[in-house]
Amino acid sequence: MHSEKQKHSFEPKIIAFVCTWCTYAGADLAGTSRMQYPSNVRVLKFPCTGRIDPVFILKAFQQGADGVLVSGCHPGDCHYIAGNFHARRRFAAFRKLLEFVGVDLNRLQFSWVSAAEGGKWVEVVTDLTEKVRAMGPMAEFKQLALEEQWSGTIGTPELKEAYNAI
Amino acid sequence: MTQPIDTSIYIAITEAIRDEAKRLLLEGQVSAVIGYAGARRKGSAQPVIISQAEDAAKLIFSPASVNNLALYLTKAKKEIPKNGKIGIVVKGCDLKAIVGLMGESQLKREELYLIGVPCAGVLASTAQPSTGLTAETIAPKCTECNAHLPAGCDYVPNVQLPAPLQLEEKYIAEITRLEALTPVERWAYWKEQFAKCIKCYACRQVCPFCFCEQCLCDRNKPQMVESTPRPAGNTAWHIVRAMHLAGRCAGCAECERVCPMDIPLNLLNRKMAKELKELYAYEAGFEVNDKGPLSTFDEKDDQSFIK
Amino acid sequence: MQKYISKQNLNTLLDTMIAEGTRVVAPCLNAGIPLYEPIKSASEMVTELLPRRSSKEAFFPVCEDIMSYAKEGQHVSLKDIDPSRFQETVLVGVRPCDAAAIPVLDAVFSWDYKDEFFLERRKKTTIIGLACTDADDACFCSAVGLSPGETKGSDLFLTPLEGGGYACETFSDKGEALITSHKELFSEQTKAKALPLAEPQTEKIDLKKVKAWLDGHFEDPLWDCIAVRCVGCGACAFVCPACHCFDIVDEGTEKAGKRRKSWDACGFWKFTHHASGHNPRNLQPKRYRNRIMHKFKYYDDKFGQTLCSGCGRCVRICPVGIDIAAIVEEISKK
Repeated sequence: MHSEKQKHSFEPKIIAFVCTWCTYAGADLAGTSRMQYPSNVRVLKFPCTGRIDPVFILKAFQQGADGVLVSGCHPGDCHYIAGNFHARRRFAAFRKLLEFVGVDLNRLQFSWVSAAEGGKWVEVVTDLTEKVRAMGPMAEFKQLALEEQWSGTIGTPELKEAYNAI
Repeated sequence: MTQPIDTSIYIAITEAIRDEAKRLLLEGQVSAVIGYAGARRKGSAQPVIISQAEDAAKLIFSPASVNNLALYLTKAKKEIPKNGKIGIVVKGCDLKAIVGLMGESQLKREELYLIGVPCAGVLASTAQPSTGLTAETIAPKCTECNAHLPAGCDYVPNVQLPAPLQLEEKYIAEITRLEALTPVERWAYWKEQFAKCIKCYACRQVCPFCFCEQCLCDRNKPQMVESTPRPAGNTAWHIVRAMHLAGRCAGCAECERVCPMDIPLNLLNRKMAKELKELYAYEAGFEVNDKGPLSTFDEKDDQSFIK
Repeated sequence: MQKYISKQNLNTLLDTMIAEGTRVVAPCLNAGIPLYEPIKSASEMVTELLPRRSSKEAFFPVCEDIMSYAKEGQHVSLKDIDPSRFQETVLVGVRPCDAAAIPVLDAVFSWDYKDEFFLERRKKTTIIGLACTDADDACFCSAVGLSPGETKGSDLFLTPLEGGGYACETFSDKGEALITSHKELFSEQTKAKALPLAEPQTEKIDLKKVKAWLDGHFEDPLWDCIAVRCVGCGACAFVCPACHCFDIVDEGTEKAGKRRKSWDACGFWKFTHHASGHNPRNLQPKRYRNRIMHKFKYYDDKFGQTLCSGCGRCVRICPVGIDIAAIVEEISKK
C-alpha cells in the first residue's frame, strides 16, 4: 500500500488550522486508517473554527507558510452550535481582503471535514499541497520581511549580503 | 476648470449651531457640547468641547470641519467627562458612526443630543484650510456621499441644501481599477503604499470604532503584529486594521484623512464595505442594528469557497 | 568660502557623487508624496515641496537593527551591527528648519551616552542646506528665532539667485572639502541678487518668557483646555525634525532575530505604561503637556536651546488641528 515517495524540488510548507472536534478527529482517523497524505502539512488544533482569528492566517504566511488550510465541522455540526457559521462569514470577508491586497487565493483553502471523513482530509490536504507545489514558494511575505525603510539599511547590497551571511 | 461647490448655507448653520448650543447649556439640557471652533491658520477648524453657554459663540461650521467628532464619545477618550447628556455636532457620515457605536452598545441614544448638519461637503486633507470647496478640493468621501442630510437628530438647522453636484466617485473608480489588476500588481501597489507607513497610529486613534482598551497591535504576549515600522509589520497592521473594521466601518474616512503619509486607507474600508454589501446586503446607515454582518450569520450563507 | 554653482552644475555634482558611490539623499516624490530619500539621479530632486518627514531620518532611521541574535542548541550568539558599514551620504536640498534641528539632535545623542549609530551616520553625512522660498501659514520658523535663510546645521548652504543658479556658502570643513573636491563645478560668486525668500509667517515669540511660564505651571488648566482634543497618535513626533524618542524591541523567533530601534512618541498611551499596569501619564493632556514641556523647557534646561525649529509639520498633520505655534504664542502672552 505504501506508494513510492516521489522526490520533488520544492516541498511547500502548509499550515492547517483545524477544529478539535471534527477536522482534527478526521485527520486522526486518516492516520489510524493508515491513509497516506503529504507530510507537508503542519496541523494546529483549535477548539473551534470560530476561534481561528484571521490574524493567525496572516501570521502563518509571514512566518513562511506557502499555503494555509482552515478546516472545521460541517454547518450544523459545530460543537458550540454556531462557531463555524460565524467563521464562515469572517473568512468570506478575509479572503476578499487578502485578494485585494494581492495575495493569490489559491494558497488559502477552507474546508469542512467531519470526524468520519478521513478520506476527505487526505483529499483536501493532497490537493492543496499539489496546487501550492505547482505555484512555487510564497515569496511576497518573505521578501517583505527582509525589507527595511531606506534609512535603516546598513550599506550596499553586497554589504547587506555579507551581513546576513554572518 | 474648478467647479465651485456652494457652501453659503454654512453661515446660517454656524449661527443655528451657536444658538442651539447656547440654549442647551443655559437650560442645562446637556453638560457639554462637542463641536468645531476656528483655529490660528486661516480658515482652519478644530474640535472643541464647551461646557459654558458663553463659549457657544466659538462654534463654527465650515468646509474645514472635517473631523468625525463621534470619536470623543467613545470609552477610548477617557479625558472627556461623560456625565449627563452630551450635545454633539454631526454630519451625516459622523452620524453613521454614532449609529454603529449604538449598535455595539457603546453609546446610548438618550445620553446624546444630536445637532445634525446638512452638509454639502468638506475639504480633502490635501487642501489648505483656507481654500474654497470645489470639485477638486472636496474630500474624496464626499464625492460618494449619500447622507448629506442626517436623519433622526434632535435638531437640524432649517436650511435648504443646494442640489449636490455630480462628482466623479473616487473610491469606486479606484477600487474598480485595482480589482482589474493581477494579484502581483495589486501586491506591488499596496507594498509601495504601506512602505511609507511610520506607525504613528493616527488611523487607529481617530477611528471611532477603535475603542479597544488595548489594541491587539500593542500587545506583545503574544505579539501578533510586529510593532516596528518596517514594511512587514506595516502591511500586517493595515490588513488587521481593515479586517477589524470590516462590517463596522461607517465610512467617515478619518483614517485616510489623517494619514501623514497619504496612504489610501479608506480604499480598504470601502472595498470591505462593498463586499459585505454584496455578500450579506449590509450597509452602514442611520438605523441601529444590534448585530453587524460579521457578528451574525445565516445558515444559508454562501459557502462556495469552502470545500 | 563663498562660491557660485549653476543649476546644471549642481545636478552634475549630484550625479557625479552618485556615480562615485556616495548615497545622495534629497527631497523627491515617492508614491505621491515628497520625502527625503536616496535618489538615483539628480533629476529626481524636487525642491518645491516640503518633505512630509524631516531629514532627521538620515541619522535617526525610522527603524534600524542594532543587534542580532541566533540560538543553536545551547549556544547563543550575539552579533553587533558594525557602524563602519554606514554609507557616506550627502544630504542635499535640506530646508533651513530641518537643518537647524540637526545640531539639536547632536546635543542629545552625544550627551551622557554617545549613540554610535547616530554619531557615525552624522559623521559620514554632509549637509547641503537650501534657503526656503515658499512657506505656508503653518510655518513658524520665525517664531522660534530662525528664518527662511537660516544656515544653522548646514555644511554648505545654497541660496537661489535671480537668473538661476545658487550662491554657496560653506560653514564647516565638510562643506569646504566638498567644494574643493569638485572645484571645476563651482565658480566665483556673481553679483546676481538672491531670489526673495519666503515671507516670515509669524512674529518672533519670546521663548525665555515661555520657559519662565512653563517653569511654574506643570499643573495648569491650560493643558486640559488645549489637549483634551488630542487623540494620542504619534504623528506630530514622527514628522518632527527634532523629536528623538525611540523604542527598542526584539523581533524574531526563539531561534533567531534582531534587536531593533524605532521611533517612539510621548503622545502614545503606551509610552509611559509601566509593566505593573500603572501609567503616570494616564490622560492625554498629561502626555501633550510633556510634548510642550520637553520642547520649550526640559530641553532648554539641559542644553540651552529649544527643541523646535518651526517647520510646521505637526501643525499641518495633526488629526485634530492642534497648533503648537498658537499654543506657544498663547503661553508667551500669559
